Amino acid sequence: MMTPLYKYGFFGEEFSLLVAFALGLGFGFFLERAGFGSARKLAAQFYLYDMSVFKVMFTAIVTAMLGVTYLGWIGVLDLDLVYLVPTHLGPQIVGGLVLGVGFVVGGYCPGTSVAALATGRIDAMVYALGIFAGTFVYAEVYPAIKGFVNSDPMGQVTLPEVFGLPWGLVVFAVVMIAVVGFWGATKIERWAGSRS
Amino acid sequence: MNLRQFTANRKLAMVAVALGTLALFAQPHRGPFVKLDARELASVVEAEVDHVTAPDLAAWIVEGRADYRLLDLRTEQEYAAYHIPTAENVPLTGLADYPLLRNEKIVLYSEGGIHSAQAWMLLRAQGYKAVYFVLGGFDAWKDEVLFPTLPANADAKARAQFERAAQVAKFFGGEARIGVAPEAGQAAAPAVANELPRLTVPPPMPGPATPVAKKKKKEGC
Repeated sequence: MMTPLYKYGFFGEEFSLLVAFALGLGFGFFLERAGFGSARKLAAQFYLYDMSVFKVMFTAIVTAMLGVTYLGWIGVLDLDLVYLVPTHLGPQIVGGLVLGVGFVVGGYCPGTSVAALATGRIDAMVYALGIFAGTFVYAEVYPAIKGFVNSDPMGQVTLPEVFGLPWGLVVFAVVMIAVVGFWGATKIERWAGSRS
Repeated sequence: MNLRQFTANRKLAMVAVALGTLALFAQPHRGPFVKLDARELASVVEAEVDHVTAPDLAAWIVEGRADYRLLDLRTEQEYAAYHIPTAENVPLTGLADYPLLRNEKIVLYSEGGIHSAQAWMLLRAQGYKAVYFVLGGFDAWKDEVLFPTLPANADAKARAQFERAAQVAKFFGGEARIGVAPEAGQAAAPAVANELPRLTVPPPMPGPATPVAKKKKKEGC
């Protein structure tokens, strides 16, 4: 979020850490306010009777996407300066599945676990230990799986580039998917709620 | 229509749909037209921070640095015959559409240096912040890195420097020479007999073929 400002040299290393700290506090605060400090709330997503995780995350995506699009349009933000994680399709699908399994089993994703840790939840502390253990194991086995991790390099790509579509069309499509998705999610919540 | 009949969520959804529809016409990326800050560019040129020297570039390659993109602006044939290791071939006309990021360090070289300086201006004008050209271009690479020549009247300091240059030249498949000091009035003609090294001996470059900029900040959930 602060990346373009940082790269333009509007502020230095130390100040960027302060900005990161403030952004992190804000992120944690709103995760907690959304109820994501509770593993019950997060696990409910997978039982389909509370789709808050889907709704909050998708709202964040739509909000950020519209913000970035309009800021780029009026010339405030240079989109080329925004860092994108390079895409490695195969490895990232596997990584996503591993993270998903951890999410279901542990009841947190990495971000929410830290927010829950800050409010003193014991399960979050155990989860955090799991993060450190997982990081350690990954670092140890990295030499063996290095080839796979770096396979399929697509570079820093965006959906409009991959599909060859105009930027605005993709933005519009994602908004529509979100709106239809929210409507569908509410239907699913009612259906799952009536079953339990 | 009374807005009060909608919940806050529905109102937000309507705002999102409206903004999303308007975004159909958005052009968040700049087109081929550019604006340039003449004073800023002039000061960069004046401060001589717009270029790297051929020996500096050679040192980067020897170190195996991967935080820059090296672009060869010469023709395909010239590129195929020989190019500086790690270089990518991009014709000047293809530069505008070549996949480059504005936050990458880009180093340009051409035969003499004029084309690369012009390309430097084009990229700077398009908002690429970290663009450099190899001073003297490919000719400088040949004379200073591949085939450095020690003047006959060199002093000890120059000789020590030459020793290092000779090692670098060997690394790139070139050869250092101990030459004759150019006489007054005679142009220091570069040795014409120098044959460019064959591309079969590229220096060891660890890492992926496309240099990936390191030390980037990771962002995520």
